[in-house]
This record gives sequence, C-alpha cells and structure tokens, in this order.
Amino acid sequence: MVLNIDNLTGGYSKTAVIHDINFDIRSGEIVGLIGLNGSGKSTTIKHILGLLNPHKGSIKVNDIQIDEDTEKYRRDLAYIPESPILYEELTLKEHINMTAMAYGLDEQVAWKRAEKLLKVFRLDDKVSMFPTHFSKGMKQKVMLICAFMVEPDLYIIDEPFLGLDPLGIESLIDLMVEERDENRSILMSTHILSTAERYCNRYVILDNGRVLVSGTIEELRQKMEMPDASLDDLYLSLTGGAG
Amino acid sequence: MKAPLYKNRIEDDIKIRSYYGKYIFNSHFLIFLTIAAGVFLYSLLGILSTMEPTIYLDLIAALIMSLLLLPKYRSLLKEADVLFLPPYEKNMKKYFSYTSQYSFWLNIGLPIVGLVIAILLLSVGHSMLEMVTFAVMSVILYIMAFTIRRNAINSPITQNTVVGMLIVIHFVSLMLLLQNLLLAAAGLGLIFGLYFWINKKQYKNLDWTTLVNYEAILLQKYYQYVSMFTNVHHISKQYKRRKYFDSLLKQPKPSNFNKSHMYEYLFKRTFLRDNDLPMIILRLLLIFAVAMVWVNQLMLSVIIILFALYIIVLQMSQLYTAQAYLLWPKIWPVKREYIRESYIRFSHKLIFIISMALAVLFIILHPVYFYIAVIFPLWGYLLNSYFSKSVYKKEKLLSD
Repeated sequence: MVLNIDNLTGGYSKTAVIHDINFDIRSGEIVGLIGLNGSGKSTTIKHILGLLNPHKGSIKVNDIQIDEDTEKYRRDLAYIPESPILYEELTLKEHINMTAMAYGLDEQVAWKRAEKLLKVFRLDDKVSMFPTHFSKGMKQKVMLICAFMVEPDLYIIDEPFLGLDPLGIESLIDLMVEERDENRSILMSTHILSTAERYCNRYVILDNGRVLVSGTIEELRQKMEMPDASLDDLYLSLTGGAG
Repeated sequence: MKAPLYKNRIEDDIKIRSYYGKYIFNSHFLIFLTIAAGVFLYSLLGILSTMEPTIYLDLIAALIMSLLLLPKYRSLLKEADVLFLPPYEKNMKKYFSYTSQYSFWLNIGLPIVGLVIAILLLSVGHSMLEMVTFAVMSVILYIMAFTIRRNAINSPITQNTVVGMLIVIHFVSLMLLLQNLLLAAAGLGLIFGLYFWINKKQYKNLDWTTLVNYEAILLQKYYQYVSMFTNVHHISKQYKRRKYFDSLLKQPKPSNFNKSHMYEYLFKRTFLRDNDLPMIILRLLLIFAVAMVWVNQLMLSVIIILFALYIIVLQMSQLYTAQAYLLWPKIWPVKREYIRESYIRFSHKLIFIISMALAVLFIILHPVYFYIAVIFPLWGYLLNSYFSKSVYKKEKLLSD
C-alpha cells in the first residue's frame, strides 16, 4: 500500500474539519479526491503532506508515518499545489537544481529527466528565465516538472488542470498515465469529473469533511443503484445537487 | 455606533507604528542615537564657532531643507477600497481631510530636525530676522509641498517629476531669501505657481487605483525601513536579477550538489537578487563610513563599527525568515536544521567580509591602533551566532 489513511480526524486548530477519513492507494493507481469547495479535500492533502497534525488516526506512506522517519516519508511523495508556489529569486534552472538537491538526485540524472519534461511542456528554451515572470499556466508547468522529475512513489496533485492550456492538459494526462504504468500512484483532487472518470481507477468522494463513498466507478454505480450513471451524475446525486 | 472609517484606519496605522517603534527605538538604538546626536552637535558647534560667513553654509542649509520638505500623503486606503468605496466618493471629504491632517503631522519630525541644523548653520553670518524668515518660509514650503504632492497623486504628473520640481523650487526659494529677504516673494510665486498648475492637471474624479497603489508603495517603504531593525511579516519581498552578480552564482560543484548545501545555494541568490537588502547594507556601510570619517575619533569609531555590525546582522536575519516560513522547506525531504546551518554558514561569511571592510577603514583612520581592528570580525561572529540562534528559536516556537 503506497498510502494508507486510517480514521483520520483533523483540521487547522482544535476544531476538526475532516472526520474519520479512511482510504488507501495501491501501487499503480490514480485515485480521484472529489468534493465541493470546503468539503475537506485540501485539509486532507495538508494532513498527508504533514503540514497539519492529525487529531486522531494515522497516515502512512509506504508503511511509514511521518514521525517515524520524516525524510523517508517525504522522499516518497511529490506535491503539486493548486496555485504555483515559486521562488521569486530563482530561475527555472535553479528551481530544478533545488528540487534535485532536496530529493538527493544525482545532478546528471536529474537533468536528464528534467530536459525530457522541459521539452514535453515546451519550456526548454526558458531555463534561464525567472518563472515568476511566466503566465499562470507556465508556472504550473514548472511545478509539474519539479514534481515529475523526482519520480516518487506517490504524487499528490491538487487541481492539476487549473490554468493549463489544452496541450498542457494533454501532456499532463500522458505523464500521469505513464507514471501509473511505471507502478507509481497519484492522488488527484479535481472538479473536472469527466476527465477524472476517464483516468482515475478509484474515487473518494468527500462531503462536509467525511467520506461519503469510495470505490471504482462500477462500485459507485452499484452502491447508488444508478447502473449507467456518469461520475457527474453520481456525484450530483450523492451531494444532493441532482433533480 | 460604528466608528468612522478614517478613525479606524488612523488608529490601525498608529498601532502598527507603535508596535514597530518599540523595535526600532530599543534601548541600544536610543543610546547610540543620543551619543551620535551629542557628538554631531558638539562637533558642529565647534566647527561653526570658528567659521566665517560663507555662501557654502547657505547652500548646505538650503539643500538640507530642500530635501527634507517633501511630506507624503498617506491615504490609508486598502486594495479592496477600489471596489467598495468609489460609490461613496462624494461623501468621503471628511475621510480625506482627516487622513491629510494625520499625514501632515506624521512627516514633520525630520523637517524639524533639519530646520534646527539649518538654523545653526545660518547663525554664522545671518541676522535673527533672516533666520526667522527662513524658518517661516520652510513652514510655508512644507505645507505647500504636502498639498501639491497629495493633489499630484490624482493627476497625470508623476511623483518623481513633482519631487524634482519641489526640490528645485525649495532650493531656489530658500537661497533667494538668504540673499535678499524681499526675494522671498519670488519663492512664494514659484511654489504657488506649481500648486495652481498641479490643481489644473487634477482629474475630476478620484483615480482610485493610483491612490491605492501609491498608499501600498508608501506602506511597503515603511515596512522596508522597519525591516532594517526587525523582522516584518507584512513586507512583500521583491527580487531582481543583477547580471553583474551572476558570476558569483555558479552551478554548485558535484560534491556540493546535495541537501546540506542547497539552502546556501538559495541564500546566496536570495541575498544577491533581493531588491533592497544589498543596497540597504551598502547604504548603511556608506553612512557609517562617512560618520567615522566625520568624527575621526578613536573610541567613537569603535562604537560606530560595533553598532554598524549590530544593525547589519539584524538586517541579515530577514534572509532566514524569508525562507523558513515558505511551503517548500516543509515539503522537501530535508531536515529543517539544514536551513539554519546553511544560514549560519552563509551569514558568517558575509558578516566576515563586511567586518573586514570596516576594519580596513578603521586601520586607515587610526593606523597606530590597528590591532583594535581584530575585535570587529570577532564581534560580527558573536552577534551573528547569537541572533541567528534567536531567530531560529522564534521560528521553532511559531511552527510548534
């Protein structure tokens, strides 16, 4: 199991925002974390990243909790935030260097991977520029490059398609599928359910900080007794938005 | 009943100023200021007592006042005001009137200090009437400059143009009256001419975006000033590439391409590309160097250098806090201790270079006592060790 969340209750202060969250991700799976604004997706992600301390329950990445071995726990995951977070004082090349050094990658190996990704996202002629001067979509591509060059066991991607152009979205989907085929796993929070339906193996649907339902699309259809429903229909029905 | 908006905004600004004032005017700084002011006045009075009347003293007095009579208008507006306040523009006369009064008094400290120095300079060779006229003219110029700068925000004339024109008019007006009191009328003519010209150029409706941006710039400048003494969380850091520093920012050697050296790699770039920090340190070095040359006294040179290193070490800590609170150091699989260790390593190197520069100046000024210079790098090392640890402790407490 790459990620195991067991009975997680937590939040920003003493008041819990998420309650008794349970789900896991196996190797080579893309799991969609779905929910309305304020449903607890970001809080769950922050807990997985170790930015918040659980009130109750546990989170394990490759069977290790963050307190057991912080470096190992973090080395096994890469995060792509919803809004790009960049160093204003660093060029694109320097962002890649920093990421490589942080994850203990050999310089040559890191740059071999980075060059391939730079070409995929058409940023190979911009390595000496400051990404803070890029458009939002280009900044998001920098985040993607820095995450994908690490090749961790688990990617945590918050709203991956936000701000990307159609070519960027296509490249990202290809990359995600490629990584899945390499037995790496992805937890992806998104509102674009049609895309999620096509590429995710399983879904975790959150509402008001609780897991409403989780499983493959077939399992969700069976549970909801809606045999031909799309993920959109299932989701609207679950959250009371249908009809 | 809800307090008027201007009252809340003024009270908030006063709160911020008193909060940071505690850090700026701490006991060390007050002692230094008292010593520095005493020495400055003592040496100035000594020089003046032996001087003959000369036009250079008039020039210096007029120049000091020209540069200090440039009060800024603080509208205390915030970003969201652009959306919410324009419909109430016609009912905001009271708001702008009160914020004008607040800004007027907020800026008055430095011009008063400047006027005292200018009057002392003019006491050589000028009558009491001339000095009083100079002072009255300065007050008029201050009021007019404030009004003109405030009105110019809502016009196509840039602040740089207005400031340039004001400096010239102030200088010409004050110089003319020092030559002949009746020529004060010409100065008044010039400043009122500028006032009417700017008024004519004003837009009919308020340019809210410019007004809000101008306020944001002034607030950032205030925070930048405060950041010379303490950490300021509100400050939004700006960076720029200085091509001439690129040769200092090479790709790390393979042996240093790892997590224990990555933050030093980052700190170098943060420092050399920071919009303000290198220039602030350079300016501080220049000010303290000029002060040392001016005073040219052994014990005071030592005190100035020790104080200079203290101020510069305080400045440096913003480099650490700028990185420690960011997201990536909390995500990367790198021990947080590496940030501190890298910062200490980097800042020790930088402080050593700065203390050596000051030591060289000291040796040039006091060659006989060259051996005293050995205490400067040691002092820099001790200060930096102490402050970097205390910044780390504070950050750890906050993150816990």
